Amino acid sequence: MRVREATVERTQSAIPALVCLAAWAVPGLGHLWFGRRFKGLVFLVALPLMFCTGLWLEGQLFPFEPSQPLVALAALADVGIGGTYLAAKALGYGGGNVVAVTYEYGNAFLIVAGLLNLLVVIDAWDIALGRK
Amino acid sequence: MSSHFLLLLLFALFVSTVFAVLLRDDARSQLRFGGMLFGSFVLSAIVLGWLMYPFPL
Repeated sequence: MRVREATVERTQSAIPALVCLAAWAVPGLGHLWFGRRFKGLVFLVALPLMFCTGLWLEGQLFPFEPSQPLVALAALADVGIGGTYLAAKALGYGGGNVVAVTYEYGNAFLIVAGLLNLLVVIDAWDIALGRK
Repeated sequence: MSSHFLLLLLFALFVSTVFAVLLRDDARSQLRFGGMLFGSFVLSAIVLGWLMYPFPL
């Protein structure tokens, strides 16, 4: 009986985790999942657009460098945008141009887009748990 | 585009849009909150810019 309860509990907790994974991979997908179409569509458009603006401004997708904690934190923030980050990396974008006048602006756009998507994922998690 | 002010406006627009949609549920309060956030971003940047004006780079 206890095993059965534990299985049911695991299954129920797997759904919010799946929603979070989807919301991380595609910004707004978590909200679209629960029928919050307007919010989902705004996130789906605004966040990748902000990230792409960062790339266009010649910002850098930072590498995971454990010896440089601030660079590693910036890399973690970049990854927050999910699939868009992976696509940009796969296509060879995000090399950054340190001498470009917009380099720091690009970094700010890239990092903040990733961090905002993490907030969106947390919001999707709250919806999945029935808190919102 | 290398205008600092236009990039500031673009950044403020993105961040205030996402925050307004994330933190408010009905359209009217989203618009009000987003507008207030956008205005605060721009105003505080201008005020901080002027406050930093006397300091050399």
